Amino acid sequence: MEVRSRAFARYAQRALSDKALQAALNGATGRLSALRAAAIAAFPGYDAARERASAVKEDTLARLDEQLARFIEEASRRGAVVHVARDAAQAREIAVGIAKEEGISLAVKSKSMVAEEVDLNAALQEAGVEVVESDLGEYIVQLAGEPPSHIIVPAVHKTRGEISRLFETRLGEPPTDSIPRLVATARKRLREKFLSAGMGITGANFLVAETGSVVLLTNEGNGRMGTTLPRVHLAVTGIEKVLPRMSDLPVFLRLLPRSATGQPLTSYVSILTGTRREGDPEGPERLHILLVDGGRSAILEGKYREMLKCIRCGACLNACPVYQNVGGHAYGWVYPGPMGAVLTPLLTGLAESSPLPDASTLCGACAEVCPVKIPLPHFLLELRADVREQGLKTPGEIAGMKMLASVMKRAGLLEAAERILGALSQFLSRGNPISGLPYPFAGWTERRDFPAAAKRPFRKEWKIRRGVRE
Amino acid sequence: MDPKGPVPVSLFFTCLADAFAPGVCFATVEVLERFGAQVRVPLSQTCCGQPAFNTGNRKEARAMARKFLRSFPEDGYIVTPSGSCASMVKHGYPVLFRDEPRTLALARAASERIYELSQFLVEVLGVTDPKSSFTGKVTYHDSCHLRRGLGVVDPPRTLLRAIPGVKLVEMEESDRCCGFGGVFSVKHPQVSCRMTEQKIERILATGASYVTAGDLGCLLSIGGMISRHGYPVKAVHLAEILAGAPWDAEEAF
Ligand code: SF4
Repeated sequence: MEVRSRAFARYAQRALSDKALQAALNGATGRLSALRAAAIAAFPGYDAARERASAVKEDTLARLDEQLARFIEEASRRGAVVHVARDAAQAREIAVGIAKEEGISLAVKSKSMVAEEVDLNAALQEAGVEVVESDLGEYIVQLAGEPPSHIIVPAVHKTRGEISRLFETRLGEPPTDSIPRLVATARKRLREKFLSAGMGITGANFLVAETGSVVLLTNEGNGRMGTTLPRVHLAVTGIEKVLPRMSDLPVFLRLLPRSATGQPLTSYVSILTGTRREGDPEGPERLHILLVDGGRSAILEGKYREMLKCIRCGACLNACPVYQNVGGHAYGWVYPGPMGAVLTPLLTGLAESSPLPDASTLCGACAEVCPVKIPLPHFLLELRADVREQGLKTPGEIAGMKMLASVMKRAGLLEAAERILGALSQFLSRGNPISGLPYPFAGWTERRDFPAAAKRPFRKEWKIRRGVRE
Repeated sequence: MDPKGPVPVSLFFTCLADAFAPGVCFATVEVLERFGAQVRVPLSQTCCGQPAFNTGNRKEARAMARKFLRSFPEDGYIVTPSGSCASMVKHGYPVLFRDEPRTLALARAASERIYELSQFLVEVLGVTDPKSSFTGKVTYHDSCHLRRGLGVVDPPRTLLRAIPGVKLVEMEESDRCCGFGGVFSVKHPQVSCRMTEQKIERILATGASYVTAGDLGCLLSIGGMISRHGYPVKAVHLAEILAGAPWDAEEAF
């Protein structure tokens, strides 16, 4: 997927003036946050679970090579073909190769962020394979020709009315106000596809090294259908999803849905181990697992390693007041919100995405809700320092900061600067709040005032009142 | 309280309050002295370096942080009427000097001695009643760095509730960011303003006559919007409420 994160400011502004988007976003993120909060409050073991999940992830990442080797061995032993892709291009090539080799013309897909990351749909479609999204939200954004805007709720930016109009123009369905009717329409359309597809494509929420299993969490059962009905199953996921043992899984099964949607458990948990065996009533004849690196092993080596602990629950998106107002598309790539503001620069490079680390007030709401304790604000700060180091800051900002630092190095200079500031703002505003600041601060005063500087700063006044001689 | 005598406290008045709200600094001194602190005001202090640190300009941030460390005596507490500046010293300095062992030791020492005003009053001095004479219906905004950075949730509320003339009314989502975010409000003014507007809706819904917080940054944004639109509520720093009357109306943002 093309990276458009450099235009964050422009997209954000556009999002703010999109009334339908605002209505959809504010309602949904608020609801999801409230559901999460209630589910966590009703979960007495939360702190311990969070500690444990975080520790399991840390341990796994510390010996990821070993865990991956184990996973590949166990999965292969049970009949899977495991592929490893260095980058997006190689991932596409492998996936297209599999589709060709298996003679696939129609694939049903359930949600996979990594597939978005490597632009899988476009590559398959180009190779003559029709790909139909089977997750309701993904199906909606696919019909609209848009990328997902949330990692859990892909169509969170769409209102019911917009979806009805979309179904009307794309599917020729009569308009409706009823959500069950819309769901029923999608279900009916998708059933036909499930039955005739040769391949099911999924992501993976977790991989279990011990058993070579692919673990999928879905709420609509589409993951279950897509992995059992078609002859071939292709699971596309990142190398960081592996967990050592089956016994490590339960804590994540409890944390992920609670953090994501406030559910104690996801509706469908599929643990897929190997291909269909003799006497199995269902399951794919062929199972391909495509593990994508795409920059992850580089992250593993550096100071942002903990970002790979992310289980894509989306809690940080819902909690983020910036995401709540600008939505996922503003972030310009696959991963939005606070996790995306960190992950996108790490995967695509800061040159492509340098505004993202600034798309935050550093309020910390994201880290507060993250079930695996990723220090997101700290990472945003580190990335901002990287922006400077990589020479991606504007000369104006650097000059401004240098000037600030040289003033702040001497109290005397600061006093002199304050005197000028004070005189100037008293002169311009006569002590009233200032309603128009010059560039680059003009945006500040478009809708709010700025206080005039004090006639006498504290330091000066203190010296006078306490008789300190200069 | 320490029976051995007055507690030595250095006031870190912050560059923002120095230039824009001297009243907040005086209020802080007044409250500290009321409870027996021996307040020193190091006059060579300037800025903790937060603006540079938060924008990723580490070199400049280090220069300012070094200046901060030089300006304060090496003993006693450092108290400031700002959650974000306290948080900068506490959490930012150890990051800034992680590769400079000698300065790191100084930074760590400062990070252990620094407190935000309400936190210091309650947690160190054991104050339960600020003995303030403030009157009015007040709502409290949890500044992000004060609440999440320093973990200060109850102290300001405890103090506000103990003032006989104050009626504390909680707003919805008091811990939701006001949109200031330092340089964020300059880089993304539209998003910032939207967040401030959302904050103000919640403030107005309480019917309070005052909104208070332990961070001047938030009050600049909230107060600036109140002043632009003439909303019927005043933004007042927590220190000013704790200091009590006479409260100078011209100090309103
Ligand atoms: S960063 Fe944390 S909260 Fe955000 S999606 Fe990942 S695991 Fe969830």
